[in-house]
Amino acid sequence: MRKDLHEMKEDFNNQGIFFSFSGPISQELTVEIGEILKKKMSLIETGSSTILKVFSVVVEQAQNIIHYSDEKIPLEEMNSESDELRFGIILVGFKNDHYFVECGNEIENHKIENLQKKLMNLQNMNKDELKKHYKEQRRKDPDEGSKGAGLGFIEMARKSSEPFEFGFKKISEDVSFFSLKIVI
Amino acid sequence: MDILKIEATKHTPEICFDPEKNIHTFQGQSYPENTAEIYNPVFSWLKEYFAQLGNQEVIFNIEIIYFNSSSSKVLMDFFDMLEEESVKGKNIIVNWIYDEENESALEYGEEFQEDLESLKFNLIEKESD
Repeated sequence: MRKDLHEMKEDFNNQGIFFSFSGPISQELTVEIGEILKKKMSLIETGSSTILKVFSVVVEQAQNIIHYSDEKIPLEEMNSESDELRFGIILVGFKNDHYFVECGNEIENHKIENLQKKLMNLQNMNKDELKKHYKEQRRKDPDEGSKGAGLGFIEMARKSSEPFEFGFKKISEDVSFFSLKIVI
Repeated sequence: MDILKIEATKHTPEICFDPEKNIHTFQGQSYPENTAEIYNPVFSWLKEYFAQLGNQEVIFNIEIIYFNSSSSKVLMDFFDMLEEESVKGKNIIVNWIYDEENESALEYGEEFQEDLESLKFNLIEKESD
């Protein structure tokens, strides 16, 4: 048995983290995580609009993992829902009067440059610019390789109360670990 | 034409499009991982519906409390389709129904309204229970 599990929990507590998940994630799991987080937040009298923002960011982050994480295992039984299990990590916490959502997943190194450019571009936009950009993208065809509408990061940037933080940590010649933190 | 009826799930809305009454409802939350799976049949139905529709009044009552970013794109495509049909002479009214306590739902509605020119798009506040 791990001796330091309690230590890990204490560490989470100190950082305000009240929810953590690491592993393969599915749409069904996303729905249940969303439901339980809504329940937890409503217990401590969070306004309904804040609850919806946190929920929305968690959904976007989880679905990004489902669509794009490069830590994946192909499933033998192919079905239309998903043909792979994709892994990632999601943390939700409350500190300094704000909720925050952090997520991470592996990304192939050759994809980093594009993503970095996209995120830096969003970091420099104010609320009005983000709204304009969101509306423009919504009417465009998604980028090649996109499995959604290509709006997830803009949506999260619009829900955040301060510019989001992100980073890439190299794991090997092929992949890095991508982390993103949104403060609501 | 048959009624299009799709039951709600935790992450998809209830859809009931009635080609007899020409009153259509779209209600709930929308955050599926794969939007095409649920919405492709809806778009196919609408295409067939508009092809046979005359100039009678058609109402879409839309009440969505939450949708994810890929559903947002689907909704925009949906309203663009309705706008195109309005331009062609169809008599379409969209009622975007929101709860006064859900600020985001009002904002979402306003943002669609801003992007539509010819489509009649009303924002309607629902009385809180």
